[in-house]
Amino acid sequence: MAPLLEIKDLHASVGDTPILKGIDLIINTGEIHAIMGPNGSGKSTMSYVLAGRDGYEVTGGDILMNGESLLEMEADERARAGMFLAFQYPVELPGVGGMSFLRAAVNARRIDAGEKEVDQLEFVKMVRAKAKHLNINDDMLKRAVNVGFSGGEKKRYEILQMALLEPALSVLDETDSGLDVDALKVVSEGVNLLRDPQRSMLVITHYQRLLNHIVPDYVHILAGGKIRRSGGKELALEVEESGYAGINDAA
Amino acid sequence: MPASMMQHSLDGVMGLTGVRAGAQRRWQKTGWPDHRAEQWRFTRLSGLQKVDLRFAESAAITAENQEFSAAMPDNAAFLSFSNGVFDQASLDNLPKGVKASLLDGDEATLLALSELVPQSHPISDLSLAAMTSGIHLEISGAVEIPIVLAFTGDDNSLSAHPVVSIKINDGASVVISEWHRSNVGLSAPLMAIEVGKKARLDYAKVQQDSAASTHLSATGLKLGDDSIFDGFQISVGGKLARLETHITLAGENADCTLSAIYLGRSSQHHDITTNMNHLKGHCLSNQVIRGVLDDKARGVFQGKVHVAPDAQKTDGQQMSRVLLLSRKAEADAKPELEIYADDVLCAHGATIGELDETQLFYLASRGIDGQTARGMLISAFLDDAIDSIKHDGLSAMLRPITTAWMTAVDLNSDGEL
Repeated sequence: MAPLLEIKDLHASVGDTPILKGIDLIINTGEIHAIMGPNGSGKSTMSYVLAGRDGYEVTGGDILMNGESLLEMEADERARAGMFLAFQYPVELPGVGGMSFLRAAVNARRIDAGEKEVDQLEFVKMVRAKAKHLNINDDMLKRAVNVGFSGGEKKRYEILQMALLEPALSVLDETDSGLDVDALKVVSEGVNLLRDPQRSMLVITHYQRLLNHIVPDYVHILAGGKIRRSGGKELALEVEESGYAGINDAA
Repeated sequence: MPASMMQHSLDGVMGLTGVRAGAQRRWQKTGWPDHRAEQWRFTRLSGLQKVDLRFAESAAITAENQEFSAAMPDNAAFLSFSNGVFDQASLDNLPKGVKASLLDGDEATLLALSELVPQSHPISDLSLAAMTSGIHLEISGAVEIPIVLAFTGDDNSLSAHPVVSIKINDGASVVISEWHRSNVGLSAPLMAIEVGKKARLDYAKVQQDSAASTHLSATGLKLGDDSIFDGFQISVGGKLARLETHITLAGENADCTLSAIYLGRSSQHHDITTNMNHLKGHCLSNQVIRGVLDDKARGVFQGKVHVAPDAQKTDGQQMSRVLLLSRKAEADAKPELEIYADDVLCAHGATIGELDETQLFYLASRGIDGQTARGMLISAFLDDAIDSIKHDGLSAMLRPITTAWMTAVDLNSDGEL
């Protein structure tokens, strides 16, 4: 059986600047991988390239999900195929009601899968049940998407979407940034609730502290657009001790 | 004086007297504005001058009005015009509190009307002189049933000049919508509305004329002490449409909203022109204008707020925002403030932008396809204007129009044609 995600010698550029310079990575179903790296190493670029954002051009290599290339798929198609990106900076959508946004997202996937659309009442129940674990109250659900949310609320709202969409692969882009210790705990617990042998995650972070809460199976160190080292969760602790200095040389 | 077939044919309108004769003389002297007229700089009528249109005369009342009913509140009273000709049978529908009469030959009412409509204006003069049909409505008390002025037509070789004057007596209130679904060459309605002291008018104008039609309207409003005007316009139809509204706040404490939406695609041209004239103190005026343009469409907003020396404590707000969905679409905004009082609160602004790429990506990353995502963002953008409508029935009537526009064809994703 093909792995859930297989990244093969991936090169990508933003504008004329090459950022990713040959990434190889395999994520099997049920595994949690962490990618750590210093600023400017290409972490966020990698998350956008996986999600299919315009302007992030793949110049070489391939990304396969369940054995099929994602490169020809638009961002929305990838999402419906089971890819989810939790944004480092979730985007405010003034005037777009939270509930109708969530329902549009859930129904988009259902329609694609040939399933029945969820009706409004059933959906409200579904959202409330999942929101409870993330300390998201009705007031927050009623507001426009991310508008007037604090940093922590925005991150919890990302995890709520992840819980509703039940993606095969979740990419968490610096989910810990801007969170205090308490908020980090809530978000991490939300993520841990979604750990499942059928789902995989790619956790992208600068700091090791997130990985105390969301414990990965594998850790990869990204620097200069390449994965320089891979190992188990203990590799994150090593980085915490000695920093990223010297990683480039180690390659 | 530009040559115009229409101009010649107005020479043939014989035997006018009084106010209409005066309008005819002014029209014959000035005619269609040419490119040097500042007020018509962004909306040129040269195309219209080349078309040979006949003035509408006889009524061919069709069954088209049926299609209005579906979109209307169940109990609305329809006053129907077809090819500019008033259907007198529709007078049977008048609700309690509304008195109607014909304008033809009513010199006193015509004179009052001519003072309310935009002055020195081609449509005021032309439509008053050429008046296909004219009616006068007088409103007393609280009229519960909404009135729909329904304009249809099926002959694109015609120019239709319906004229409506409405007097809302002191303390009266009424809901009126003006709905245009005409397929005539030129639709040039002339409206004069006087809102009396402590009176209230909730008003919506819908311009959904056919794709080959030109719509040029002139509307004049005068608001008395403590009156409320809550107005909204939406322009989606026509090849070229200009909705021009002149409002005079002639009493103190009047509260005036005039918001508008235009939605353009292919090579449509929409023009919203407003003139808010604050004559007396303590009045409020608010205008929220939203435009969305796709393909090679063009949009114009000209909004002037004039505050007279006596109009202290005026609060005049105006905000125009346009979304361009295509690189070939074009928008012009000309907000103007002219303030002669020293204790006022006035602000205006105009922006022209595109859909936000980051917002579109966020929606896409949730599996929402591009067409739906653009629709969601455009709806949110338009809601700012629709939310300014206080009458629930009118906002419920308008929302399906914007939704239909968005689902009618593919919205451009990247401006390529």
